[in-house]
Amino acid sequence: MEDGRPIFLQIAELLENSILDGTLAEEGQVPSTNELAAFHRINPATAAKGVNKLVDDGTLYKKRGIGMFVTPGARAKLRGRRRDEFARQYVRPLLTEARKLGIGPTELKNMIDTWEEDQ
Amino acid sequence: MSAVVTVTDLTKRYRTVTALDRVSFSLTENRIYGLLGRNGAGKTTLMQLLTAQNFATSGEISVFGQHPYENERVLSRISFIKESQTYPSGLRVMHVLRAAGLVYPGWDEEYAQRLADVFQLPRERHVTKLSRGMLSALGIVVGLASRAPLTFFDEPYLGLDAVSRQLFYDHLLADYTEHPRTIVLSTHLIDEVSDLIEYVLLIDRGRLLLDVDAEALRGQVVTVSGPVAGVDEFVRTGTELHRVLLGGTARATVRGDFGAAARDRARSLGLDLEASSLQDIVVRLTTSTNGHAAGAGSATANKEATR
Amino acid sequence: MNRALTVARLQFVAWRVVLGWPWGILALSFLINLALFTAMGENDDFEPTTGGLLSIYIVMFIASISAITQDFPFAIGLGLSRRSFYLGNVLQFAAQAVVYAAVLYLLAIVEEATDGWGVNLRFFGLPFLLVENPVLRFLGFAIPFLLLGFIGIAIALVFKRWRVNGLLTLGTVALGGIGGLAVLATWRGWWSAIGGWFVDQPNWALLVGWPALVTVVLAAVSYLVIRRATP
Repeated sequence: MEDGRPIFLQIAELLENSILDGTLAEEGQVPSTNELAAFHRINPATAAKGVNKLVDDGTLYKKRGIGMFVTPGARAKLRGRRRDEFARQYVRPLLTEARKLGIGPTELKNMIDTWEEDQ
Repeated sequence: MSAVVTVTDLTKRYRTVTALDRVSFSLTENRIYGLLGRNGAGKTTLMQLLTAQNFATSGEISVFGQHPYENERVLSRISFIKESQTYPSGLRVMHVLRAAGLVYPGWDEEYAQRLADVFQLPRERHVTKLSRGMLSALGIVVGLASRAPLTFFDEPYLGLDAVSRQLFYDHLLADYTEHPRTIVLSTHLIDEVSDLIEYVLLIDRGRLLLDVDAEALRGQVVTVSGPVAGVDEFVRTGTELHRVLLGGTARATVRGDFGAAARDRARSLGLDLEASSLQDIVVRLTTSTNGHAAGAGSATANKEATR
Repeated sequence: MNRALTVARLQFVAWRVVLGWPWGILALSFLINLALFTAMGENDDFEPTTGGLLSIYIVMFIASISAITQDFPFAIGLGLSRRSFYLGNVLQFAAQAVVYAAVLYLLAIVEEATDGWGVNLRFFGLPFLLVENPVLRFLGFAIPFLLLGFIGIAIALVFKRWRVNGLLTLGTVALGGIGGLAVLATWRGWWSAIGGWFVDQPNWALLVGWPALVTVVLAAVSYLVIRRATP
């Protein structure tokens, strides 16, 4: 696990990523806390905390005696939330750095277009 | 959640040194604790007192609700694996395993044999002829297979290579998952165990500096660098632990309640923000300059704040 | 008590070592003597008496020292109480003393029946151990095991708790005490009285009574010391 950030947040994010890219299908079963702990070599209580975070925000739901499953509609909800975060996490620092270098919004847009074409 | 260990104002003085100075804390059932601190900080002394192998100068100890001294009911539920453990000279590896099997009520012989295979312990070899690493492995096998409700590992990996240490961590985690119990892992290889431990007890020069959820600690300490004015501004939201200056640039380690908002704040102040690892945090809190811990006073104040 | 029995069993996990040393050395000593006196033999008036029997008692003494220096830290490390460890050792010592004494007694009888193994050798039935009463004769074999065992434990415990300084202090006090008494006895002319006292003592008291008393005192003091000892 990456240093310096609560591990349970990282576990929650990893599960979210798997839901976003379809590795974990909606209504599909999520690895158990113990499997997550063994795979990532982390404390099971921490893994459970990560899973519980997703249960609390409705991304996962519990089937008593069976395990955790992905809530229907979770993927779309996650995508919406991640899009909001994207602006904050990537666009804002991009603008800050651009301003520092004297790159205006129009020039920045052009740069993005050029890069998009190159790819 | 019941307390397995409760310690109040525990003090241990030797003739000239105070090994433990009014330490108070409790351990909750079925958690993995990291007992961290530099060599000679008092970690081993603390565990010796909790297992009644040594005698406290003053203070209260309660283990499973009773004092452990000469208390068979308590002692039979503890396993204390220490780096300095000695063995009678006539014993072979298999004898030590057999002895442990006689003594520990929860001993799992099949598991012990499996672990001995994993660590490639030669059963016929005299214990006195074992290498340092093998001796450590023997301790690890005894500690894990004893399945004691309260298990102490005191620097259990001396002489073990990285592969064997990883084996230890993996087996510890797997067996703990299957048979939850309270485990205290005393170590200075913090990076290696930081993901395993749920709680941190940090001891420095006989005093308890931290008694805190490891997850809460992660992200609580950050390093910001950039223009001095910006750093000064940022540091105001927390407790500064350390600072280096280079011309007009400063790098400061700060402890506080930092979330995503702090990241944004640092960015808007034109600062680089880097979260500290558990290891960094411990180093920052226990590094001594002129015989005083960096921010010793504030570290104690913080301890109160995290309670 | 259960845990004390565990300790007693613990001592025997390496039973080959525990039994091998005393009897191995005794057997070796016996065979050497036997070979020696067979070679010298032939003279009917000659009744060789040897001190070879002492070897098994010396091994017990050494074993009792290592019980404190080696077994004690191991037992405490395994989470046994000092009380259990001590009681377990007392049990083990007592059992060993009884069994060993019985075997030695038996060998002494065999020795008498075979006219000293055919060469008039007196290895087990030493003259000063000869008493009519079979119980006393048995105790004469058994008590020295316990006495030496607890002397070993006491000395090792002094070292364990007070290290070299403790041993030096103990040695100085013992030397000063005994030397002082000897000087006093000489100065006041007590020696004939002391000699008389020994002569007046019945055989059983010298062989069994006084050693047993010293053993009990040492055992009691050792228990108090070990309760505050650290591994």
